[in-house]
Amino acid sequence: MQQIAGALQPATGGREGFLRALGARLADMNLAVTAILLTWFTLVIVPIVVLFAFSFFSTVQFRTVYEPTLDTWIGLFSSGRWEVTLRTLRIALTVTVIELLIAFPFALWLAKGCRSGTGRAVCLAMLTIPFFLDMSSRTIIWRAILGQSGLINTMLLGAGVVDTPVEWLLYSEVAVHFGMIVSLFPPMVMPIYLAINLIDDTLLEASNDLGASPWQTLSRVIIPLSLPGVIAGVVFCLGPALAAWVEPGMLGGGFVNLISNSIESAYSALRYPVVAALSAFVIVLLLALLGGMFLIARRFGDPSSSLSAIRG
Amino acid sequence: MKDRFSTYNQAQLTRREMLAGMSALAGLAAVGGISGVAKAQDVPLIRIYGVPTAALKDWAPMEKALGVRAELNGSSNDVGVFMRDVMGANMGDSADIFVFESGTEDILGPQGFYAPLDEAHSELTLWERTSDDWKRSAVVQDREGKQWGVPVIGNADSFGYFPEKLGLSPDSQEELSWSLMFEDEKTRGRVAYGNAYTYSMGVAALYLQAKGAATFSDIADLTPEEAKTVADFLIERKKAGQFRTLYGAFEEQIQLLTNGEVDVINCWEPAVREANLALGPDATRYAYTKEGYFKWGHGAYIAAQAADRDNLGAIYKVLNYFLSGEYRALQARDRGYAGPNMDLGVEYAEANGWNAEEVAALKATEAKVNKKFSKPYVSTTTPDNAGAMEEEWQRFLNA
Repeated sequence: MQQIAGALQPATGGREGFLRALGARLADMNLAVTAILLTWFTLVIVPIVVLFAFSFFSTVQFRTVYEPTLDTWIGLFSSGRWEVTLRTLRIALTVTVIELLIAFPFALWLAKGCRSGTGRAVCLAMLTIPFFLDMSSRTIIWRAILGQSGLINTMLLGAGVVDTPVEWLLYSEVAVHFGMIVSLFPPMVMPIYLAINLIDDTLLEASNDLGASPWQTLSRVIIPLSLPGVIAGVVFCLGPALAAWVEPGMLGGGFVNLISNSIESAYSALRYPVVAALSAFVIVLLLALLGGMFLIARRFGDPSSSLSAIRG
Repeated sequence: MKDRFSTYNQAQLTRREMLAGMSALAGLAAVGGISGVAKAQDVPLIRIYGVPTAALKDWAPMEKALGVRAELNGSSNDVGVFMRDVMGANMGDSADIFVFESGTEDILGPQGFYAPLDEAHSELTLWERTSDDWKRSAVVQDREGKQWGVPVIGNADSFGYFPEKLGLSPDSQEELSWSLMFEDEKTRGRVAYGNAYTYSMGVAALYLQAKGAATFSDIADLTPEEAKTVADFLIERKKAGQFRTLYGAFEEQIQLLTNGEVDVINCWEPAVREANLALGPDATRYAYTKEGYFKWGHGAYIAAQAADRDNLGAIYKVLNYFLSGEYRALQARDRGYAGPNMDLGVEYAEANGWNAEEVAALKATEAKVNKKFSKPYVSTTTPDNAGAMEEEWQRFLNA
């Protein structure tokens, strides 16, 4: 970020000066980084631009009509379909916040509190195991547990806690939140754990020696230093939560219509421009969110310190 | 992925085809390279591109009966992908016959990608005796009634239910109302409804029309206003708590029935069969309905380019074979499909010494088809108003 800002500054000194500065900057930069950025641009940015462009076309009888039109965008808002993006955003943010509230203390304990090497290894292994299993298989199991004749309801009925099966356990927003929290826990914990793990213990001791209360050590030392991990965790959690498809489909029972489900439905009607518009809309929302987060994070410290490895 | 009416999945079929292919190769090698190739060249080869559901497990009986070999290249079940292949990739240059679910002929026919069917072709001997329920259905005709293909397989989908929970006799042949799905107090909160406008919107319109609440010009292709009427009704029912869940996949149909999460579900017939394997015979039943069915079918169409090729006679032989008793009986026995001319299938089985159980199963399928197919309505994968229907379905989901 700072590099780009630095490269942009000489622009005030005229076009030629700007180009020269840019050239000098590029020469300074590591060739590998340039190559990676270029590949990234071709593989990620270009398709997104193409996608965005597609939302201004229309499809008639399975053929795309390459005449610019705003119909898709107008339809998106006039039919209220854009509401799925708000619902998706609400659920994704709720899940991310809950996730952060659970994951941070856990990561802190795992990195600094857990003194047993074996215990830590077991915990880390447990966190990685879910990655080896297919998402659908991991999620579908919950249906057998949360259903009306599922494990929990059977136990509740058996214990006499309830007279009739609890319906909202499955096929509800609660179930979708639950499923997402379970599946997105590792991506939130891991980066935070790594960031906290990197904090030198002597810093914590110094803070203690200088008379800081545990809360002050947490808020003034640990939280600022773990920010890069927190941001990474939030991104790794929020992104998949916004794109969640398996959990709303399997645990929401069709009543929790999220952006991915809406996109899939449009795809089934071969409405590619609608697919493109919805996707573009989410990307814009996501960029706005990340931008906001970056601004907030800057108040606490230097969030770009997570890029320091590249700057080397 | 399983297809709609099969008890095999595609991976199994592919493996089986590959094994068959390998044994055929081994056979060729045994006969001796050169003579083997020469022999293969004598027999005309018909190349089919389409959904693998139409394939026989083994094409050898057809080769024996017709002296024509067939080779089926499996396409995606996704209509968009299939249409792109035919239109964009010029599949007609290499394929002779296309096989796909109802709807593509409405677009690919008039646009010149399919050749019109010559009903009077001398090889199409079984055309005359094929029932109009099949040969004049929207599966093989376009909206103007022009004939583009022959029917291959199909079924009339309704809903699965637990007779015991609804107080019905398990062997009842009684025609039930779709109200069990949408409005019955007995089933409120105990219904699973398919989450796809293509599959679920039509049956709701069918029900509304039958009870006189609305009229629709074409249930398979609802105009924006008609789609709104249906969506309004469904939103009202959703708010009343009629639906326990909206399901997405075939596996879910089976699961919802098997673990008793719902009493009624508009599902594919094989889901009921699978559930009964777990729950016992006739624990669940597939309904006969008063109002009608989601009738679907696959048609076989001739590639426009093939009309100029010299194998047109062989192509019509294969099309005729799709109407024949042998194809019918083999498809029904090996994959559980129904189709046109079920009676010929029964005849074939009896003449070829199939066991009593197999013949009885074929007869049952014939009776079922006769009872169901005279009722509305034929679905399509390509409604003109797909956009409006999908948009209204989203409104229902978001309500």
